[in-house]
Amino acid sequence: MMNKILIAIDLSENSLKAVDYVARMMQCHAAVDVTLLNVIKEPSTDIMPDERERMDYVEQKRSETLGLMEQAARKLTEHEIPEKNVHLKIQICSKPVSVAELILKECEAGSYGTIVVGRRGMSKKEEFLFGSVSNKIVREARDCTVWVVE
Amino acid sequence: MNESLLREKIEEYSRFPLRGQLNIVTDTTEFMNIQADDVLELAGNYYLVRGEETEGRFGLDGEPKFWVKKAIDLADGSHKIIKLVFHESFTMRIGSLPIKCFRSPVKEGRILEKTRDDPYFMKGFTIEDSSGNCIRIIDKIQGTRFYDYINNLAQDHEQYFHEHFPEVLQNVIQCVEAIHRLHQAGEVHGDIRNDHIFIERGSRRYIWIDFDYTYEWAENPFGVDLYGLGNILLFTVGKGFHNIPDLNACGPPGIEMRSCLAPGDLSLFFKHRVANLQKLFPYIPNSLNHVLLHFSQGAEVFYETSDELLHDLRVCESDLLPC
Repeated sequence: MMNKILIAIDLSENSLKAVDYVARMMQCHAAVDVTLLNVIKEPSTDIMPDERERMDYVEQKRSETLGLMEQAARKLTEHEIPEKNVHLKIQICSKPVSVAELILKECEAGSYGTIVVGRRGMSKKEEFLFGSVSNKIVREARDCTVWVVE
Repeated sequence: MNESLLREKIEEYSRFPLRGQLNIVTDTTEFMNIQADDVLELAGNYYLVRGEETEGRFGLDGEPKFWVKKAIDLADGSHKIIKLVFHESFTMRIGSLPIKCFRSPVKEGRILEKTRDDPYFMKGFTIEDSSGNCIRIIDKIQGTRFYDYINNLAQDHEQYFHEHFPEVLQNVIQCVEAIHRLHQAGEVHGDIRNDHIFIERGSRRYIWIDFDYTYEWAENPFGVDLYGLGNILLFTVGKGFHNIPDLNACGPPGIEMRSCLAPGDLSLFFKHRVANLQKLFPYIPNSLNHVLLHFSQGAEVFYETSDELLHDLRVCESDLLPC
């Protein structure tokens, strides 16, 4: 049976650590299927009213993200996870949504068995003000395993 | 309205005739150049500028806000606050934490529209000037800032807590309910402070003002508003904020407040501010202190939604009712 793993990554170093961890854990497992997921949040129109500017911002983010995801995918294939079993997915959101909820929806829709997230090590104050994606996933994930890589 | 009629209205509503040339402004882009006695012509309405609003934070005379004009509507003599377009972004500090903040006229205009029928928010509407600037015409609220009201109460804390606080808390809960409605409408206030609530003369209703701040998206979109609500609760329950250096200065000689306060009793965001107010005022009921401790360094669980906060506050309200 194929082990389906969803790795949620952003542009942080910890995300690559999470990918590294999965690569080492799943080395030589032919029956593993890994999706790297990144969410790009389009700036709100209140902050960036000009549509062209918003589109340019998203395009630049997509290009940066793609570069990082390809680097992450190479980490997986270098550990002998078959290239055909590594997928890249970028979601662009134009509305203020919870990234954790998006990841959980993707997990459910794709019937993944495992979600992997990095953790930045937020302070209590940051967690209060901004919320933590990894904490929310740990709290709300159902019918799957969650790996939090620090 | 022709010039002679405008002059007539100006004299009628400002009680003084306009001396010198009448300066009518239709493009407000250069708001620094708009001065007292100028008349703004906006979408067929005329407003006499009386000067600039000042920040007025913490009871001090602040810097003038050149993009916010005090004005009189020359149609009926009513007092208005006219907010012109001023886009700025800056880094605000919440305690020691920097957070990028943006001023958005469009956001405030949208909230004015969404809360048009909600009496707990300032009233006004948005119109465009001749250059398409999004201008908000706000009804001036006659009343007192909540900050000044609490600070000007003469009683000591115990008398305040037993005589005034239950009513104040009811009003603050109504304010939190209003913020909850705003959140449900997909908006945040963005600048919740105890001087951004006005107590309207007559109705005694607590009314939210000034919601043009916005932020980049975060996982918890309501965190900044909840932080503000926490500060308002600490201020309300404590009848002001209580900081360790002030307490030491006022206490009996040789007594160090720090000796009876653990780090977990202090505010999460302000390291000298006491959040565990029950240690200072033992008659504060547990249910209320429990709410305050969610904003302390010792908190393990935070409120993520205004609904969660409201749920706990309603318990406090019933605990404060006389037996």
